[in-house]
Amino acid sequence: MATIINADTSDGLKLTSDTSGEIQFQSAGVVKAQVTSGGLQDASGVAITAQSGKNLIINGDMRIDQRNAGASITPTNAQYHIDRWRAYLSQASKYTVQQSTTAPSDFNYSLLATSSSAYTVGASDYFLLAQPIEGLNVAHLNWGTANAKTVTLSFWVRSSLTGTFGGAVGNAAGNRSYPYSYTISAANTWEKKTITITGDTTGTWVTTNASSIIIYWSLGSGSSSSGTAGSWSANYYDSVTGATSLVGTSGATLYITGVQLEVGDTATPFEHRMYSQELAMCQRYYHKGNYAFMSSSATTLMFNINFPTQMRATPTTSHEYPEGGTVNDVYNIATAATPTFVPDGNFSDINGYRFAYDFDAGLTADDGYQAFFYFSAEL
Amino acid sequence: MEYTYKLMVKNLGVVRSDGANIPADNANTDYQQYLKWVAEGNTPEPADEVNNNG
Repeated sequence: MATIINADTSDGLKLTSDTSGEIQFQSAGVVKAQVTSGGLQDASGVAITAQSGKNLIINGDMRIDQRNAGASITPTNAQYHIDRWRAYLSQASKYTVQQSTTAPSDFNYSLLATSSSAYTVGASDYFLLAQPIEGLNVAHLNWGTANAKTVTLSFWVRSSLTGTFGGAVGNAAGNRSYPYSYTISAANTWEKKTITITGDTTGTWVTTNASSIIIYWSLGSGSSSSGTAGSWSANYYDSVTGATSLVGTSGATLYITGVQLEVGDTATPFEHRMYSQELAMCQRYYHKGNYAFMSSSATTLMFNINFPTQMRATPTTSHEYPEGGTVNDVYNIATAATPTFVPDGNFSDINGYRFAYDFDAGLTADDGYQAFFYFSAEL
Repeated sequence: MEYTYKLMVKNLGVVRSDGANIPADNANTDYQQYLKWVAEGNTPEPADEVNNNG
């Protein structure tokens, strides 16, 4: 029978502490939350505040895949695949990546990496999944100062292999890293992993619109980039010594989703953002669209593409027609001609893409054209 | 993948050999790659000459 405390007046219920000023909320004898002179806090003393915006990872639930729409690709080094997710590799064609619909409860998508062969990792090899984080989004962590905040990384993982796996948190300069390990106990079973990382009080951590913190998950790393879990190093590490190598087993799979990086030493429930919010966050780094525009002469296209959100930097632009078709082609809506248009100049900034001209182009003046444009301001 | 580059007119940026237009923005990582390529001793193709047709 539960014990119920009822207010017996019309003035509500008041809990008053003793002279310590503290009130604790316990479950099974363990403190879960508390009120102190600092306000409402979790068990470790971290302020309990609004949960919106707590996740510093973008597209941690792998919902958005603008480039490939779920198709599998064999990535090249430093290639982005699922939005905000990047592959790093020292040898080509050792694994594929794709958005998968295999997911744990409360999620609909995951990032799937599949080993393409049984490759023995060399000392300097690396095969990684990663997400770089823009400095503007992590400046409040105060990393590189005495006030560096502790963060907690949590994620769901599933693999056809069991054992100890590795990863790391590092800076963009590659001279600070914190290797971490996690254990997959059962094959082909979703497991949630939590890693708490003490904030780095030294090193250079970018606080501008450039790359700052990079989170790595290793699919196989050589001894040169494998360190000891659980402490900061002035070396570049992307995994831990002795970790399982996914690329060492042909057909081996690793799924990841529900990735969250948050302030504090406790993993809280994943922040499920609205799709439109998550998409806009991705579009700061990459977006694409099918656009129509006019030619003002045989060499000049007139358009004004306003970006759906302000981009991180003035983006690299490419176009083609049709989508997945011939790079640099544009489509004449009136004649169905597809002249090649390689801009000798274009005008754009972080807010939009303006007109462009190609002195060699064979356009027809004052015709309507169409093309698929891709804008990339990735880290 | 090893790219080559061609300058755009008016220092607007460069055209990469895969057709991508890269603005002269130091925060753009593709432009950073171009600057690194130049620093390694490479030279981009010159820009097309401006004429009166544009």
